[in-house]
This record gives sequence, structure tokens and C-alpha cells, in this order.
Amino acid sequence: MRTTTILMIVSLLALVALFLPSILFLAGRMELGTVKWIMLLATIVWFVAATPWMWKQSG
Amino acid sequence: MDTEQKSQQQQSGGEFEREPVPQSRLLGFKSFIGMYAGEHTAGTELAIGPLFVAAGVSAYDVVVGLIAGNVLAVLSWIFLCAPIATRARLTLYYQLEKICGRKLVTLYNLANGVMFCFLAGAMVTVSATALGVWFKFPMPALNDFYPNSIGWVLAVLAVGAVISVVAAYGYEVVSKVANIAAPWMVLVFIAFGLIGLRQFIDATGTEVNSLSDVWTLAKTHIWRGADPHPGRVKFTFWHVMFFAWFCNMAMHVGMSDLSVLRFAKKSWYGVASATGMFLGHFLAWLAASILYAFQLHQDPSNTSVLPGPLAYQAVGLTGLICVIIAGWTTANPTIYRAGLAFQAIIPRSSRFRVTLITGGIATIAAMFPALAMRLLDFVALYGLVLMPMGAVVFVDFWLIPKLGLRGSYAELSGRPCNWAAGAAWIVTLAVCLGIVFIVGNWILYFIALPGWFIASIIYIVLSRIYQKQVPLSAAQA
Repeated sequence: MRTTTILMIVSLLALVALFLPSILFLAGRMELGTVKWIMLLATIVWFVAATPWMWKQSG
Repeated sequence: MDTEQKSQQQQSGGEFEREPVPQSRLLGFKSFIGMYAGEHTAGTELAIGPLFVAAGVSAYDVVVGLIAGNVLAVLSWIFLCAPIATRARLTLYYQLEKICGRKLVTLYNLANGVMFCFLAGAMVTVSATALGVWFKFPMPALNDFYPNSIGWVLAVLAVGAVISVVAAYGYEVVSKVANIAAPWMVLVFIAFGLIGLRQFIDATGTEVNSLSDVWTLAKTHIWRGADPHPGRVKFTFWHVMFFAWFCNMAMHVGMSDLSVLRFAKKSWYGVASATGMFLGHFLAWLAASILYAFQLHQDPSNTSVLPGPLAYQAVGLTGLICVIIAGWTTANPTIYRAGLAFQAIIPRSSRFRVTLITGGIATIAAMFPALAMRLLDFVALYGLVLMPMGAVVFVDFWLIPKLGLRGSYAELSGRPCNWAAGAAWIVTLAVCLGIVFIVGNWILYFIALPGWFIASIIYIVLSRIYQKQVPLSAAQA
């Protein structure tokens, strides 16, 4: 139960990390190269953290 | 229960296929929000958005047209599909079988299966464009009809083979992957738009200090309302609105989603379709069209609509992963459903083999880039082909009893084919396609609206004749 909660929080943070760089890029506060790296990292974290609890939830 | 019945059961979830969904199994509103958001944020959105730009649409027409069309689509789910779904609580296939008879449902399955095959083909095409970024083979151009390189054919074969084999083994795993990918994918799609917007600001040197500056940028550089690309229909507000309304016509007006919404506690749950419409058919289409407009801004001669390179240019590897997953997760269930539709026609055939053959047909179709490059036309045609049966279901449920006739007549009379329904379908389709042939391609986006009334009138008139011709016995009545 505790692990699931931690994984859910990590997943949520991964989504924030996925989306935030594109907003910062739009605001002119981040380089595109950095945006791409952070989005790739966030993607990996999302799939690693979300898969265990979402797999169970979807039966 | 025979194989045909079983396959029809599996086609829409495998539960309560020949009986109404019981109260204890009804689902809450949240279930439908997630389902619609995931289903309508698919790989094909990355091909549809750019095609609006290729059709020379203006900023006002695309933004307001999409809002209006998506609202109409949601209203169609709420007022046409959901009320019948939550009253009858039957799948479309069973509802149609009661009205039309088993033989006509088999014909409907054939049409449905063929359409699913081509739709899956377009999704395979989208995924294969991502491989082109890695392997650098020549990829198709906007007006290519035939495959243009060995690399392209091999990429489509590879993607199609994987998707078909996975679909043949059952799509439960892919469905779970699709659920996990959905929130991630929606955010990546939105990121495409934000990044494309910034790239436009930088490339044009536009000063953006307010929303009004963004709108000016959109009008002057992104959706300029210029001439369409050669061979394309010029899109106005009306084209965009009708396209957004009718691109899922098979599901709302065509009643495919009876199978989904029969699990809804209330008919207003149809409003959940708004998540799919405004995430997938608004934000994702606009985002993809921004990326394509930026490609044209950089090189006006590069008119190819290739989701892989577009996504890679914007967000790198994440974009490519998004294109592959978006195409894969939506092509898989589509091939699976097409296989089941075909299997219902030949009940003794193995589902595994039929799905593999179906995947093979979709893969061959995917090799022809015209399918994806003409996706707007195909999607409009897809809705048109299945729409008349939706009109038949609507009329049979609401109007036929009020006109002193009997609904679900095939079930009551025990006949395998209600020719009144069959004629309503075929004649409507022939009239609509005849008009498109005579008037021109542009009317394909609009013809389904009068077509729905044509189908309804034909079904009412012919039902009166048919029910006199095939009277019920005392026991049947």
C-alpha cells in the first residue's frame, strides 16, 4: 500500500516534469535540447513508476 | 451459444452481449471520462492536424470550427446514442440483430471489418513514419499513392507484423499499455503545440506579450487561410465543423457506442465524450497542425505529412516513442475488432488466423501512403458508410412504435433479413456516394447530414410496406 502511494506520487511528479519544460521553453526560459532530455527522462520515470499500480488498476 | 454469437460478444467487451446490462454492473461517470480521453487521443490525430493546414484552413475557421464541431459531436453522443444505450442496455450488434436479422448484421459486420482494416492501416502508417527517422529511408510525400521505397515497405511490414501478431494473441496487454500511456501521451501532444508555438515565435521574430499577439501569429503564420495544396479541398469553417462532428459518426450517430454507453448509469454520461473531443480532436489536432505549419515555414517545398519526423523535430526521442505507442495502441484493438467482425461472418474460422489475415490486409493497406495522406476523406467515408444503420436504430427505437408499427421486427417475425432496414442502408449509401461522384469530393464532408434523414425516411416508408408484407402470426404478435 505504501509502495503504491510512493509510486503514484513519483508518477505524478514525472508528469509534471514531462510537461513543465515545454511551458518553460514557450516562456523562453529553457533550451530545446534540455527540454528534450528532461522529457525523455520523465517518460522513462513515468512508465517505470506508473506501470505497477496502473497495471493492477486496469484489472 | 455459437461462435458467431461469441465473437460478437468479444467484440464489445465479452459481457452481457445478448441480454441487457444489469443494474449491478453499471459504471460511474469517471470510467467514461478516461475511456473517451484515451480512445480519441490516437496516432491518427498526428496525421489529421497537418492535413487541415494542407487544406489551407484559416485560424478562425479551424479554432471555431473545431469547437463547434466537437460540441455537436458531444451532443450527438448525449442525445442520440446515450438515451437508447441506457434504456435498451444492449450492444449495437444485438440491437441491430433484433431489428435487421442475422444476415443483414453479417453484412454490416463485413462493412465494419473492412473499414476497421483501413483505419488500422492508417495507424500502422503513422507508426512506420517514426522508423524512418531512425533508419533514414525515403518516406512518402503528401500526394504519393504507391509506396516509394523498399525501406518504407519493410518498415510498414515490420510494424504491421508486430501489431498483427500481438492482436492475434489478444489485445488485453496492449489495452493495459494504452491505459498507462494515455495521460503521458496527452501531455506529450500538448507539449508538441507549445514547443511548435515557441519555434514559430523565434523563427518569425514575433513579439508576443498577450493572447492577442498569439492570435495574430496564428492568423499570419500558422493557419494562414492560403490556397490548399494541389489536389486538396479548400477547408472553410463549415468543412472543419462538419469534419469534427462527423469524423466519429460511426460511434455516435452510427450508434457503435451503444456497446459502451449501455454500462452508463445515466444517459448524460455521454458528456464524458467531451474529454476525447477536446483533448484529442481539439488540442492534439491543433498541436500537430502547428508542427506541420512550422515545417512548411522552414521549407515550403516539404509538404510531406510524416508524424514521426514532425514529433522528433519537436521533442526528440519522446516524440518518436509517442508516435509509435499512439499508433500501436490504437491499431491493435482496431485490428482485433476487425478480425472479430470478419470471424462473425465465417463462424468456424480460428480467431487467431482471421486476426492475422486481417492484420496482413491492414499492413498491405498501410504501405499505400494515400490512405494516411487522404485520411480526412477516408474518415468522412467511414462515418458515412456506417451512419444509415444508426438512423435505422434511432427510428426503430423512437419513431416506429409511435407510427403504429412494431420495432425489432426481425426478432418478432423470426426473419433473418429485414429488407426495409437493408434497403435504407444500401439506398442511402448509393444516393450519398452518387451525389459525391456527381457534385465533387468536397461534399463528402457534408452529405452524411441529409443522408441521415434519407435513411430515416426510407426506413419508415419501407417498414410500413414490409410489415404488411410479412405479417406476424398471432403467437408472434
